[in-house]
Amino acid sequence: MSLEKYEAVIGLEVHAQLMTASKMFCCCPNRYGSLPNTNICPVCTGQPGSLPVINKKAMELGVRAAIALSCEVHPESIFARKNYFYPDLPKGYQISQYERPYSTHGHIVVQLKTGEEKRIGITRIHFEEDAGKSNHESYGTLVNLNRAGVPLIEIVSEPDMRNAHEAGQYLRALHSILRYADICDGNMEEGNFRCDANISVRLRGADKFGTRVELKNINSFKFVEKAIEYEIQRQVFAVESGEKIIQQTRSWNSAKNITEVMREKEEAHDYRYFPEPDLPKLVFSLAWLDQIKKEMPELPQETSIRFKKSFELSDYDASVLTGSKELANYFESVVSHSKNGKASANWVMNELLGRLNAANKEVESSPVTAIQLADLICKIDSGEISGKIAKTVFEEMFATSKDASSIIKEKGFIQISDPIALESAICKVIENNPSQFAEYKAGKVKLLGFFVGQAMKETQGQANPALLNELVKKILDR
Amino acid sequence: MLSREEVLKIAKLARLTLTEEEIGFYQRQLTRVLDHIQDLNQVPTSKEGFVQHVPSDAQCFREDRVEPFLNHDGLINNAPVVENNCFLLPTLVEHS
Ligand SMILES: [Zn+2]
Repeated sequence: MSLEKYEAVIGLEVHAQLMTASKMFCCCPNRYGSLPNTNICPVCTGQPGSLPVINKKAMELGVRAAIALSCEVHPESIFARKNYFYPDLPKGYQISQYERPYSTHGHIVVQLKTGEEKRIGITRIHFEEDAGKSNHESYGTLVNLNRAGVPLIEIVSEPDMRNAHEAGQYLRALHSILRYADICDGNMEEGNFRCDANISVRLRGADKFGTRVELKNINSFKFVEKAIEYEIQRQVFAVESGEKIIQQTRSWNSAKNITEVMREKEEAHDYRYFPEPDLPKLVFSLAWLDQIKKEMPELPQETSIRFKKSFELSDYDASVLTGSKELANYFESVVSHSKNGKASANWVMNELLGRLNAANKEVESSPVTAIQLADLICKIDSGEISGKIAKTVFEEMFATSKDASSIIKEKGFIQISDPIALESAICKVIENNPSQFAEYKAGKVKLLGFFVGQAMKETQGQANPALLNELVKKILDR
Repeated sequence: MLSREEVLKIAKLARLTLTEEEIGFYQRQLTRVLDHIQDLNQVPTSKEGFVQHVPSDAQCFREDRVEPFLNHDGLINNAPVVENNCFLLPTLVEHS
Protein backbone atom coordinates (compact mmCIF):
# COMPACT_ATOMS: atom_id res chain seq x y z
CA MET A 1 0.00 0.00 0.00
CA SER A 2 1.52 3.28 -1.03
CA LEU A 3 0.35 5.81 1.54
CA GLU A 4 2.74 8.45 0.19
CA LYS A 5 0.70 8.80 -2.99
CA TYR A 6 -2.25 10.02 -0.95
CA GLU A 7 -3.03 12.87 1.34
CA ALA A 8 -5.85 13.20 3.82
CA VAL A 9 -8.18 16.15 4.15
CA ILE A 10 -9.31 16.59 7.72
CA GLY A 11 -11.67 19.05 9.35
CA LEU A 12 -12.57 18.93 13.03
CA GLU A 13 -15.75 19.86 14.86
CA VAL A 14 -15.27 20.42 18.56
CA HIS A 15 -18.05 20.76 21.10
CA ALA A 16 -16.86 22.56 24.21
CA GLN A 17 -19.07 22.94 27.28
CA LEU A 18 -18.84 26.41 28.78
CA MET A 19 -17.75 26.84 32.40
CA THR A 20 -20.89 28.46 33.72
CA ALA A 21 -22.59 27.78 37.04
CA SER A 22 -26.03 27.38 35.43
CA LYS A 23 -27.37 26.04 32.14
CA MET A 24 -27.74 28.01 28.88
CA PHE A 25 -31.45 28.88 29.08
CA CYS A 26 -32.53 27.98 32.63
CA CYS A 27 -31.26 28.22 36.23
CA CYS A 28 -30.44 24.52 36.69
CA PRO A 29 -26.87 23.76 37.79
CA ASN A 30 -24.38 23.01 35.02
CA ARG A 31 -22.76 20.16 36.89
CA TYR A 32 -21.34 16.78 35.94
CA GLY A 33 -21.82 13.70 38.09
CA SER A 34 -25.03 14.59 40.00
CA LEU A 35 -27.68 11.95 40.59
CA PRO A 36 -29.64 11.38 37.35
CA ASN A 37 -32.38 13.92 36.65
CA THR A 38 -31.77 16.12 39.68
CA ASN A 39 -30.53 19.15 37.69
CA ILE A 40 -33.67 19.55 35.62
CA CYS A 41 -36.58 21.97 35.39
CA PRO A 42 -39.56 22.70 33.13
CA VAL A 43 -37.35 24.62 30.63
CA CYS A 44 -34.65 22.00 30.02
CA THR A 45 -37.15 19.15 29.98
CA GLY A 46 -39.25 20.94 27.36
CA GLN A 47 -42.48 21.36 29.34
CA PRO A 48 -45.21 23.20 27.45
CA GLY A 49 -45.30 26.92 28.13
CA SER A 50 -41.74 27.19 29.44
CA LEU A 51 -39.47 29.76 27.80
CA PRO A 52 -35.69 30.06 27.45
CA VAL A 53 -33.77 33.02 28.95
CA ILE A 54 -30.16 33.45 27.80
CA ASN A 55 -27.34 33.06 30.34
CA LYS A 56 -25.19 36.20 30.05
CA LYS A 57 -22.02 34.47 31.24
CA ALA A 58 -22.35 31.81 28.54
CA MET A 59 -22.43 34.55 25.90
CA GLU A 60 -19.35 36.17 27.44
CA LEU A 61 -17.39 32.93 27.48
CA GLY A 62 -18.37 32.35 23.84
CA VAL A 63 -17.08 35.77 22.85
CA ARG A 64 -13.94 35.15 24.86
CA ALA A 65 -13.37 31.97 22.83
CA ALA A 66 -13.90 33.88 19.59
CA ILE A 67 -11.33 36.50 20.60
CA ALA A 68 -8.85 33.85 21.72
CA LEU A 69 -9.23 32.08 18.35
CA SER A 70 -8.79 35.30 16.35
CA CYS A 71 -12.37 35.13 15.08
CA GLU A 72 -14.69 37.89 13.99
CA VAL A 73 -17.54 38.45 16.44
CA HIS A 74 -20.80 39.48 14.79
CA PRO A 75 -22.77 42.18 16.60
CA GLU A 76 -25.98 40.40 15.59
CA SER A 77 -26.65 36.70 15.31
CA ILE A 78 -29.66 34.43 15.41
CA PHE A 79 -30.59 31.35 17.41
CA ALA A 80 -32.18 28.59 15.36
CA ARG A 81 -34.06 25.41 16.06
CA LYS A 82 -32.47 22.22 14.84
CA ASN A 83 -35.28 19.70 14.69
CA TYR A 84 -34.82 16.00 15.24
CA PHE A 85 -36.38 13.30 17.33
CA TYR A 86 -34.26 11.49 19.83
CA PRO A 87 -35.05 10.42 23.41
CA ASP A 88 -32.40 12.66 24.98
CA LEU A 89 -33.79 15.76 23.25
CA PRO A 90 -36.98 16.50 25.17
CA LYS A 91 -38.17 19.52 23.14
CA GLY A 92 -37.82 17.71 19.81
CA TYR A 93 -35.38 20.43 18.77
CA GLN A 94 -32.04 21.75 19.90
CA ILE A 95 -31.54 25.50 20.21
CA SER A 96 -28.46 26.19 18.09
CA GLN A 97 -27.26 28.71 15.54
CA TYR A 98 -27.31 28.01 11.83
CA GLU A 99 -27.28 30.61 9.08
CA ARG A 100 -26.01 33.42 11.27
CA PRO A 101 -23.58 32.18 13.91
CA TYR A 102 -22.13 34.71 16.35
CA SER A 103 -18.57 34.22 15.15
CA THR A 104 -16.66 33.28 11.97
CA HIS A 105 -13.27 33.48 10.23
CA GLY A 106 -10.69 32.64 12.85
CA HIS A 107 -7.53 30.59 13.00
CA ILE A 108 -5.01 28.86 15.25
CA VAL A 109 -1.29 28.59 14.57
CA VAL A 110 -0.01 25.16 15.57
CA GLN A 111 3.54 23.86 16.05
CA LEU A 112 4.40 20.76 14.04
CA LYS A 113 7.00 18.19 14.98
CA THR A 114 9.00 19.21 11.92
CA GLY A 115 9.56 22.54 13.68
CA GLU A 116 7.28 24.32 11.22
CA GLU A 117 4.20 26.29 12.12
CA LYS A 118 0.88 25.82 10.38
CA ARG A 119 -2.14 28.05 10.36
CA ILE A 120 -5.45 26.17 10.64
CA GLY A 121 -8.56 28.12 9.73
CA ILE A 122 -11.66 28.21 11.88
CA THR A 123 -14.82 28.47 9.81
CA ARG A 124 -17.26 29.33 12.54
CA ILE A 125 -18.16 29.14 16.20
CA HIS A 126 -21.77 28.94 17.24
CA PHE A 127 -23.74 28.58 20.45
CA GLU A 128 -25.92 25.62 21.17
CA GLU A 129 -27.39 23.69 24.06
CA ASP A 130 -26.25 20.18 24.93
CA ALA A 131 -28.62 17.23 24.73
CA GLY A 132 -29.27 14.83 27.59
CA LYS A 133 -27.54 11.51 27.92
CA SER A 134 -28.90 8.13 26.81
CA ASN A 135 -27.66 4.87 28.20
CA HIS A 136 -28.69 1.87 26.18
CA GLU A 137 -29.55 -1.20 28.22
CA SER A 138 -30.90 -4.55 27.08
CA TYR A 139 -34.37 -3.62 28.37
CA GLY A 140 -34.47 -0.10 26.90
CA THR A 141 -32.86 3.32 26.88
CA LEU A 142 -32.31 5.22 30.14
CA VAL A 143 -32.42 8.97 29.68
CA ASN A 144 -30.77 11.42 32.10
CA LEU A 145 -31.51 15.07 31.34
CA ASN A 146 -28.95 16.65 33.71
CA ARG A 147 -26.84 17.56 30.67
CA ALA A 148 -29.79 18.85 28.60
CA GLY A 149 -29.40 22.59 28.19
CA VAL A 150 -25.75 22.81 29.25
CA PRO A 151 -24.16 25.66 27.25
CA LEU A 152 -21.87 24.65 24.40
CA ILE A 153 -19.89 26.26 21.67
CA GLU A 154 -19.24 24.28 18.52
CA ILE A 155 -15.95 25.19 16.86
CA VAL A 156 -15.77 24.13 13.22
CA SER A 157 -12.38 24.12 11.53
CA GLU A 158 -11.60 24.52 7.85
CA PRO A 159 -10.57 21.25 6.17
CA ASP A 160 -6.96 22.43 6.51
CA MET A 161 -5.31 19.45 8.15
CA ARG A 162 -3.49 16.88 6.03
CA ASN A 163 -2.52 14.19 8.52
CA ALA A 164 -3.26 12.85 11.99
CA HIS A 165 -0.37 14.76 13.60
CA GLU A 166 -1.69 18.11 12.38
CA ALA A 167 -5.16 17.25 13.64
CA GLY A 168 -3.74 16.23 17.01
CA GLN A 169 -1.75 19.45 17.32
CA TYR A 170 -4.77 21.55 16.35
CA LEU A 171 -6.86 19.84 18.98
CA ARG A 172 -4.18 20.23 21.65
CA ALA A 173 -3.73 23.91 20.86
CA LEU A 174 -7.49 24.51 20.92
CA HIS A 175 -7.82 22.60 24.19
CA SER A 176 -5.01 24.58 25.78
CA ILE A 177 -6.47 27.95 24.68
CA LEU A 178 -9.96 27.12 25.99
CA ARG A 179 -8.54 25.98 29.32
CA TYR A 180 -6.20 28.96 29.66
CA ALA A 181 -8.99 31.43 29.12
CA ASP A 182 -11.28 29.63 31.61
CA ILE A 183 -13.81 28.95 28.86
CA CYS A 184 -14.02 25.17 29.10
CA ASP A 185 -12.84 22.58 31.63
CA GLY A 186 -11.50 20.48 28.79
CA ASN A 187 -12.15 17.16 30.49
CA MET A 188 -12.53 14.75 27.58
CA GLU A 189 -13.43 11.78 29.78
CA GLU A 190 -16.34 13.71 31.29
CA GLY A 191 -17.35 14.78 27.79
CA ASN A 192 -17.00 18.51 28.21
CA PHE A 193 -14.60 18.72 25.26
CA ARG A 194 -15.70 16.44 22.42
CA CYS A 195 -14.33 16.02 18.95
CA ASP A 196 -15.73 14.74 15.65
CA ALA A 197 -13.53 14.52 12.58
CA ASN A 198 -14.43 14.69 8.89
CA ILE A 199 -11.90 12.70 6.93
CA SER A 200 -11.38 12.02 3.25
CA VAL A 201 -8.40 10.99 1.15
CA ARG A 202 -7.29 12.00 -2.31
CA LEU A 203 -4.27 11.60 -4.53
CA ARG A 204 -1.62 14.07 -3.43
CA GLY A 205 -2.00 17.29 -5.38
CA ALA A 206 -5.57 16.63 -6.50
CA ASP A 207 -7.89 19.51 -5.84
CA LYS A 208 -11.17 17.65 -5.59
CA PHE A 209 -12.09 16.27 -2.16
CA GLY A 210 -12.79 12.56 -1.78
CA THR A 211 -15.98 11.23 -0.20
CA ARG A 212 -15.82 12.11 3.44
CA VAL A 213 -16.41 9.96 6.46
CA GLU A 214 -17.44 11.42 9.78
CA LEU A 215 -15.60 10.00 12.77
CA LYS A 216 -17.62 10.52 15.96
CA ASN A 217 -16.89 10.65 19.66
CA ILE A 218 -13.14 10.55 19.84
CA ASN A 219 -13.18 10.96 23.60
CA SER A 220 -9.51 10.93 24.55
CA PHE A 221 -6.39 12.69 23.34
CA LYS A 222 -4.67 9.33 23.24
CA PHE A 223 -7.09 8.13 20.57
CA VAL A 224 -7.36 11.18 18.35
CA GLU A 225 -4.27 10.57 16.27
CA LYS A 226 -4.62 6.80 16.36
CA ALA A 227 -8.25 6.93 15.23
CA ILE A 228 -7.55 9.39 12.42
CA GLU A 229 -4.45 7.46 11.34
CA TYR A 230 -6.44 4.25 11.19
CA GLU A 231 -9.27 5.86 9.21
CA ILE A 232 -6.86 7.36 6.66
CA GLN A 233 -5.21 4.00 6.09
CA ARG A 234 -8.56 2.28 5.83
CA GLN A 235 -9.69 4.73 3.16
CA VAL A 236 -6.44 4.58 1.19
CA PHE A 237 -6.58 0.81 1.25
CA ALA A 238 -10.20 0.88 0.03
CA VAL A 239 -9.38 3.30 -2.80
CA GLU A 240 -6.30 1.29 -3.80
CA SER A 241 -8.32 -1.90 -4.04
CA GLY A 242 -10.89 -0.19 -6.22
CA GLU A 243 -13.61 0.18 -3.59
CA LYS A 244 -15.88 3.17 -3.40
CA ILE A 245 -15.74 5.14 -0.15
CA ILE A 246 -19.24 5.36 1.25
CA GLN A 247 -20.32 8.53 3.00
CA GLN A 248 -21.01 7.30 6.51
CA THR A 249 -20.54 7.93 10.19
CA ARG A 250 -18.02 5.77 12.01
CA SER A 251 -16.86 5.58 15.60
CA TRP A 252 -13.55 4.63 17.17
CA ASN A 253 -13.48 1.34 19.05
CA SER A 254 -10.60 1.77 21.48
CA ALA A 255 -10.66 -1.88 22.54
CA LYS A 256 -10.19 -3.18 18.99
CA ASN A 257 -8.21 -0.16 17.69
CA ILE A 258 -10.44 0.17 14.64
CA THR A 259 -13.17 2.47 13.38
CA GLU A 260 -16.62 0.94 12.97
CA VAL A 261 -19.72 1.96 11.02
CA MET A 262 -22.32 3.74 13.14
CA ARG A 263 -24.67 4.58 10.32
CA GLU A 264 -24.74 4.88 6.58
CA LYS A 265 -25.58 8.37 5.47
CA GLU A 266 -27.20 8.42 2.07
CA GLU A 267 -28.98 11.71 2.60
CA ALA A 268 -28.08 14.72 4.64
CA HIS A 269 -29.88 14.99 7.95
CA ASP A 270 -33.12 16.81 7.49
CA TYR A 271 -32.97 19.15 10.46
CA ARG A 272 -35.42 21.73 9.11
CA TYR A 273 -33.64 24.62 10.80
CA PHE A 274 -35.63 27.78 11.37
CA PRO A 275 -35.08 30.88 13.53
CA GLU A 276 -35.93 30.28 17.20
CA PRO A 277 -39.16 32.25 17.75
CA ASP A 278 -38.76 32.20 21.54
CA LEU A 279 -35.54 34.25 21.48
CA PRO A 280 -34.75 37.70 20.08
CA LYS A 281 -31.74 38.35 17.89
CA LEU A 282 -28.54 38.01 19.89
CA VAL A 283 -27.02 41.50 20.00
CA PHE A 284 -23.54 42.29 21.30
CA SER A 285 -23.09 46.00 21.91
CA LEU A 286 -19.66 47.54 21.38
CA ALA A 287 -19.49 48.43 25.07
CA TRP A 288 -20.17 44.86 26.05
CA LEU A 289 -17.56 43.50 23.63
CA ASP A 290 -15.01 45.99 25.00
CA GLN A 291 -15.78 44.86 28.53
CA ILE A 292 -15.25 41.20 27.55
CA LYS A 293 -11.94 42.09 25.86
CA LYS A 294 -10.76 43.87 28.99
CA GLU A 295 -11.53 40.83 31.12
CA MET A 296 -9.66 38.40 28.84
CA PRO A 297 -7.31 36.16 30.84
CA GLU A 298 -3.77 35.63 29.56
CA LEU A 299 -3.53 33.19 26.64
CA PRO A 300 -0.81 30.53 26.25
CA GLN A 301 1.08 32.50 23.62
CA GLU A 302 1.08 35.59 25.80
CA THR A 303 2.24 33.60 28.81
CA SER A 304 5.01 32.14 26.67
CA ILE A 305 6.21 35.58 25.57
CA ARG A 306 6.13 36.83 29.18
CA PHE A 307 8.10 33.79 30.40
CA LYS A 308 10.74 34.34 27.71
CA LYS A 309 11.15 37.96 28.70
CA SER A 310 10.99 37.68 32.48
CA PHE A 311 13.02 34.53 32.96
CA GLU A 312 15.27 34.55 29.88
CA LEU A 313 13.93 31.24 28.61
CA SER A 314 14.37 29.81 25.12
CA ASP A 315 11.40 29.44 22.73
CA TYR A 316 11.42 25.74 23.38
CA ASP A 317 11.50 26.03 27.19
CA ALA A 318 8.72 28.59 27.15
CA SER A 319 6.56 26.43 24.89
CA VAL A 320 7.02 23.36 27.11
CA LEU A 321 6.24 25.31 30.28
CA THR A 322 3.05 26.77 28.80
CA GLY A 323 1.87 23.40 27.51
CA SER A 324 -0.94 23.47 30.05
CA LYS A 325 -2.28 26.11 32.35
CA GLU A 326 -1.54 23.92 35.38
CA LEU A 327 2.10 23.49 34.38
CA ALA A 328 2.51 27.22 33.73
CA ASN A 329 0.98 27.99 37.13
CA TYR A 330 3.23 25.43 38.80
CA PHE A 331 6.34 26.88 37.17
CA GLU A 332 5.31 30.39 38.07
CA SER A 333 4.82 29.42 41.68
CA VAL A 334 8.27 27.76 41.76
CA VAL A 335 9.94 30.88 40.33
CA SER A 336 8.16 33.27 42.63
CA HIS A 337 9.59 31.40 45.63
CA SER A 338 12.99 30.39 44.26
CA LYS A 339 13.71 33.71 42.48
CA ASN A 340 15.75 31.71 39.96
CA GLY A 341 14.04 31.45 36.57
CA LYS A 342 16.57 29.39 34.68
CA ALA A 343 17.07 26.84 37.48
CA SER A 344 13.33 26.62 38.07
CA ALA A 345 12.75 25.98 34.36
CA ASN A 346 15.40 23.26 34.29
CA TRP A 347 14.13 21.52 37.40
CA VAL A 348 10.50 21.60 36.26
CA MET A 349 11.28 20.46 32.71
CA ASN A 350 13.96 17.87 33.33
CA GLU A 351 13.47 16.40 36.78
CA LEU A 352 9.80 17.01 37.50
CA LEU A 353 8.28 16.41 34.04
CA GLY A 354 10.56 13.43 33.46
CA ARG A 355 9.38 11.76 36.65
CA LEU A 356 5.74 12.74 36.16
CA ASN A 357 5.78 11.22 32.68
CA ALA A 358 7.41 8.04 33.92
CA ALA A 359 4.79 7.80 36.68
CA ASN A 360 2.01 8.68 34.19
CA LYS A 361 0.93 11.60 36.36
CA GLU A 362 -0.25 15.11 35.60
CA VAL A 363 1.35 18.12 37.25
CA GLU A 364 -1.86 18.65 39.27
CA SER A 365 -1.13 15.46 41.17
CA SER A 366 2.61 15.99 41.54
CA PRO A 367 3.91 14.51 44.81
CA VAL A 368 6.30 17.46 45.06
CA THR A 369 4.58 20.82 45.44
CA ALA A 370 5.85 23.98 43.74
CA ILE A 371 6.88 25.43 47.11
CA GLN A 372 8.80 22.26 48.00
CA LEU A 373 10.66 22.35 44.69
CA ALA A 374 11.42 26.07 45.10
CA ASP A 375 12.77 25.35 48.57
CA LEU A 376 15.10 22.70 47.13
CA ILE A 377 16.38 25.15 44.49
CA CYS A 378 17.03 27.74 47.22
CA LYS A 379 19.11 25.18 49.12
CA ILE A 380 21.31 24.69 46.05
CA ASP A 381 21.62 28.43 45.47
CA SER A 382 22.58 29.06 49.10
CA GLY A 383 25.22 26.32 48.97
CA GLU A 384 23.53 24.12 51.56
CA ILE A 385 23.55 21.16 49.16
CA SER A 386 25.20 20.53 45.80
CA GLY A 387 23.20 20.20 42.60
CA LYS A 388 24.17 16.57 42.42
CA ILE A 389 22.92 15.78 45.91
CA ALA A 390 19.81 17.80 45.16
CA LYS A 391 18.90 15.27 42.45
CA THR A 392 19.05 12.46 45.00
CA VAL A 393 17.03 14.54 47.45
CA PHE A 394 14.46 15.28 44.73
CA GLU A 395 14.11 11.59 43.93
CA GLU A 396 13.30 10.98 47.59
CA MET A 397 10.90 13.97 47.67
CA PHE A 398 9.07 12.59 44.63
CA ALA A 399 8.77 9.16 46.23
CA THR A 400 7.69 10.35 49.69
CA SER A 401 6.29 13.91 49.28
CA LYS A 402 8.56 14.93 52.18
CA ASP A 403 10.25 18.35 52.36
CA ALA A 404 13.84 18.71 51.23
CA SER A 405 14.96 19.76 54.74
CA SER A 406 13.72 16.63 56.44
CA ILE A 407 15.29 14.37 53.79
CA ILE A 408 18.60 16.24 54.02
CA LYS A 409 18.52 15.87 57.82
CA GLU A 410 17.51 12.19 57.76
CA LYS A 411 20.13 11.18 55.23
CA GLY A 412 22.85 13.51 56.40
CA PHE A 413 23.06 15.19 53.00
CA ILE A 414 24.32 18.55 54.23
CA GLN A 415 26.98 19.94 51.93
CA ILE A 416 30.45 19.94 53.43
CA SER A 417 31.83 23.46 53.34
CA ASP A 418 34.27 22.97 56.20
CA PRO A 419 37.84 23.40 54.77
CA ILE A 420 39.41 21.18 57.43
CA ALA A 421 37.07 18.26 56.72
CA LEU A 422 37.64 18.68 52.99
CA GLU A 423 41.41 18.92 53.40
CA SER A 424 41.58 15.61 55.23
CA ALA A 425 39.55 13.97 52.45
CA ILE A 426 41.86 15.44 49.80
CA CYS A 427 44.99 14.29 51.64
CA LYS A 428 43.59 10.79 51.88
CA VAL A 429 43.03 10.74 48.09
CA ILE A 430 46.61 11.88 47.48
CA GLU A 431 47.96 9.17 49.80
CA ASN A 432 45.93 6.51 47.97
CA ASN A 433 47.12 7.65 44.52
CA PRO A 434 50.89 8.28 44.81
CA SER A 435 51.69 7.62 41.14
CA GLN A 436 49.06 10.09 39.84
CA PHE A 437 50.35 12.59 42.38
CA ALA A 438 53.88 12.16 41.04
CA GLU A 439 52.68 12.61 37.45
CA TYR A 440 50.82 15.77 38.46
CA LYS A 441 53.91 17.14 40.09
CA ALA A 442 55.87 16.28 36.94
CA GLY A 443 53.61 18.62 35.00
CA LYS A 444 50.51 16.60 34.01
CA VAL A 445 48.18 19.31 35.34
CA LYS A 446 45.04 17.92 33.75
CA LEU A 447 45.07 15.28 36.51
CA LEU A 448 43.55 18.02 38.69
CA GLY A 449 40.11 16.85 37.58
CA PHE A 450 40.93 13.30 38.62
CA PHE A 451 41.78 14.42 42.16
CA VAL A 452 38.67 16.60 42.44
CA GLY A 453 36.52 13.67 41.32
CA GLN A 454 38.13 11.26 43.77
CA ALA A 455 37.80 13.75 46.62
CA MET A 456 34.12 14.28 45.79
CA LYS A 457 33.65 10.53 45.91
CA GLU A 458 35.47 10.39 49.25
CA THR A 459 32.90 12.86 50.68
CA GLN A 460 30.00 10.85 49.15
CA GLY A 461 29.32 13.76 46.85
CA GLN A 462 28.63 16.14 49.73
CA ALA A 463 31.57 18.47 49.25
CA ASN A 464 30.86 22.04 48.24
CA PRO A 465 32.12 21.75 44.62
CA ALA A 466 33.58 25.24 44.26
CA LEU A 467 35.42 25.07 47.56
CA LEU A 468 36.64 21.54 46.88
CA ASN A 469 38.06 22.58 43.52
CA GLU A 470 39.91 25.47 45.08
CA LEU A 471 41.32 23.37 47.92
CA VAL A 472 42.44 20.46 45.70
CA LYS A 473 44.44 22.85 43.56
CA LYS A 474 45.91 24.58 46.58
CA ILE A 475 46.97 21.33 48.27
CA LEU A 476 48.38 19.74 45.09
CA ASP A 477 50.41 22.84 44.34
CA ARG A 478 51.90 23.43 47.76
CA MET B 1 -51.21 17.72 -2.93
CA LEU B 2 -48.37 16.27 -0.93
CA SER B 3 -47.16 12.97 -2.37
CA ARG B 4 -47.33 9.67 -0.54
CA GLU B 5 -43.48 9.57 -0.50
CA GLU B 6 -43.28 13.03 1.08
CA VAL B 7 -45.67 12.02 3.84
CA LEU B 8 -43.67 8.84 4.47
CA LYS B 9 -40.43 10.83 4.71
CA ILE B 10 -41.93 13.24 7.22
CA ALA B 11 -43.27 10.30 9.20
CA LYS B 12 -39.83 8.75 9.23
CA LEU B 13 -38.24 11.96 10.56
CA ALA B 14 -40.88 12.02 13.28
CA ARG B 15 -40.30 8.31 13.89
CA LEU B 16 -43.92 7.50 13.21
CA THR B 17 -45.33 4.42 11.55
CA LEU B 18 -48.47 5.25 9.58
CA THR B 19 -51.28 2.99 8.41
CA GLU B 20 -52.49 3.21 4.77
CA GLU B 21 -55.50 5.17 5.99
CA GLU B 22 -53.32 7.63 7.94
CA ILE B 23 -51.06 8.22 4.93
CA GLY B 24 -54.05 9.44 2.96
CA PHE B 25 -55.30 11.47 5.90
CA TYR B 26 -51.98 13.25 6.39
CA GLN B 27 -51.56 13.84 2.65
CA ARG B 28 -54.72 15.91 2.78
CA GLN B 29 -54.20 17.49 6.21
CA LEU B 30 -50.54 18.49 5.69
CA THR B 31 -51.41 19.88 2.26
CA ARG B 32 -53.96 22.16 3.92
CA VAL B 33 -51.30 23.31 6.42
CA LEU B 34 -48.85 24.06 3.59
CA ASP B 35 -51.54 25.93 1.67
CA HIS B 36 -52.07 28.09 4.71
CA ILE B 37 -48.34 28.79 4.89
CA GLN B 38 -48.52 29.77 1.20
CA ASP B 39 -51.17 32.32 2.16
CA LEU B 40 -48.89 33.68 4.87
CA ASN B 41 -46.14 34.05 2.28
CA GLN B 42 -48.25 36.78 0.66
CA VAL B 43 -47.43 39.01 3.64
CA PRO B 44 -44.38 41.14 2.72
CA THR B 45 -41.51 40.28 5.09
CA SER B 46 -37.74 40.42 4.83
CA LYS B 47 -35.70 37.35 5.66
CA GLU B 48 -35.09 38.64 9.14
CA GLY B 49 -38.64 39.79 9.52
CA PHE B 50 -39.45 36.48 11.08
CA VAL B 51 -37.68 37.22 14.33
CA GLN B 52 -38.49 40.89 14.31
CA HIS B 53 -41.69 40.29 16.25
CA VAL B 54 -39.38 40.08 19.25
CA PRO B 55 -38.05 43.64 19.45
CA SER B 56 -34.28 43.46 19.86
CA ASP B 57 -34.32 46.04 22.66
CA ALA B 58 -36.35 43.44 24.51
CA GLN B 59 -33.16 41.45 24.71
CA CYS B 60 -32.76 40.44 28.28
CA PHE B 61 -30.16 38.16 29.74
CA ARG B 62 -30.06 36.15 32.89
CA GLU B 63 -27.21 36.42 35.37
CA ASP B 64 -25.37 33.11 35.75
CA ARG B 65 -26.98 32.06 39.03
CA VAL B 66 -28.25 28.63 40.03
CA GLU B 67 -31.79 28.36 41.32
CA PRO B 68 -32.53 24.69 41.66
CA PHE B 69 -35.99 23.58 40.59
CA LEU B 70 -37.26 21.55 43.52
CA ASN B 71 -39.97 19.46 41.94
CA HIS B 72 -37.81 17.33 39.66
CA ASP B 73 -39.62 14.26 40.95
CA GLY B 74 -42.77 15.78 39.53
CA LEU B 75 -41.10 16.02 36.12
CA ILE B 76 -39.81 12.47 36.26
CA ASN B 77 -43.12 11.07 37.37
CA ASN B 78 -44.69 12.42 34.18
CA ALA B 79 -42.88 9.60 32.42
CA PRO B 80 -44.74 6.35 31.76
CA VAL B 81 -41.80 4.31 33.06
CA VAL B 82 -38.97 5.36 35.38
CA GLU B 83 -35.91 3.26 36.19
CA ASN B 84 -33.01 4.38 38.44
CA ASN B 85 -34.41 7.89 38.39
CA CYS B 86 -34.07 7.88 34.58
CA PHE B 87 -36.73 8.06 31.91
CA LEU B 88 -37.00 4.57 30.47
CA LEU B 89 -37.77 4.47 26.76
CA PRO B 90 -37.85 1.79 24.11
CA THR B 91 -34.45 1.65 22.43
CA LEU B 92 -34.39 3.48 19.11
CA VAL B 93 -32.26 2.33 16.27
CA GLU B 94 -31.15 5.50 14.61
CA HIS B 95 -32.51 6.00 11.10
CA SER B 96 -33.71 2.45 10.71
ZN1 LIG C 1 -33.39 23.51 33.69
